[in-house]
Amino acid sequence: MTLSSERFTAIVEAYGSQPARWPAEERALAIAYSAAHPEAQALQTEFRALDDMLDQFQVADLSLLERNVLSQVARTSEGNVFDHLLDWLLPHSEKLAAWLWRPALVACMPLVCGILLADYFSFGIEGVQNSREEELYLLSLNDYTETFE
Amino acid sequence: MVRALSRLSSAETCGTSDNALAAAGLRSTVLKMTDDQELMTAIQAGNARAYESAVKKHLKSISHYAFRMLGDSKDTEDITQETFLRLWTHADTWRSEKASVSTWLHRITHNLCIDYMRKDKSAITSEYLDEHESSERPAELPDREVRLTSLKEALAQLPERQRSAIVLNHYHGFSNREIAEIMDISVDALESILARARRGLKAELLATMGPNKNN
Repeated sequence: MTLSSERFTAIVEAYGSQPARWPAEERALAIAYSAAHPEAQALQTEFRALDDMLDQFQVADLSLLERNVLSQVARTSEGNVFDHLLDWLLPHSEKLAAWLWRPALVACMPLVCGILLADYFSFGIEGVQNSREEELYLLSLNDYTETFE
Repeated sequence: MVRALSRLSSAETCGTSDNALAAAGLRSTVLKMTDDQELMTAIQAGNARAYESAVKKHLKSISHYAFRMLGDSKDTEDITQETFLRLWTHADTWRSEKASVSTWLHRITHNLCIDYMRKDKSAITSEYLDEHESSERPAELPDREVRLTSLKEALAQLPERQRSAIVLNHYHGFSNREIAEIMDISVDALESILARARRGLKAELLATMGPNKNN
């Protein structure tokens, strides 16, 4: 099995001159083709200059950036109080539980908080259990003139 | 996994050097798969130590990829942080049969970089260019520095996908299938993009430095 010249050209044009970057399944064939064909070696030489230049471009020191990311990561993985509360209520066990119950619980929490707050702060609304005397007094204040006419 | 391990044990019993090499390669692949699987299972279960271990393992590669794509350390930091945040929050979307953790993370970074560059095209200013553009003129710089500056300029001018393909191929050692997976394209499309990228770089360098310096 051999490689065609078109395929060798396509490989070098795409992956460059260095065999280590060529597709693994065609590497051996391409190396053999290059060894047997001077024009293939010339093509590799043509692309080697670009690869050499690309090799020179090394990323500057990013250690500060990496430290920042690691400290952010530590904060993320620690989670907040709400996450810890959720984990305590519903620890990660099954995917179904995680997908259904946790969002449902989160959705219910404002409702529960609202009920508790409303129960605690009645905002001056008192019970409607009036005494018999109070009801008679309130009835006496009504205007019954139209009814009698 | 079981099939891979049985292939591994049968390769080891053959005794030839080729088979030994194949066995070593297969063993490393299997170990890598197991490592990835264990790490991601732990992260999915909310294990902070596993998460930090995964971050430390992939941080350099992810940050360097983002820097070569964006050329700015502030944006690189944002994209890197977002990538690892997604590792924590979306770990359950990773599938071992589809991609390695490294490929999966680079895919997230690739998508974030592309989104970022499309939203704010003016932001593709290159910090790695500024260091030379600020004070010295190219004529006053050593030859190697001039070539490097020209290369960085040429890379910065490539379309996003071409830049991504060449960075992943040349600097990160991914195979063509892995790069195609990261970029969500076919291997044929990847080859076409890579060839255009190299042609573009050569033409740009030829235009700025002349034929003698590039060839």
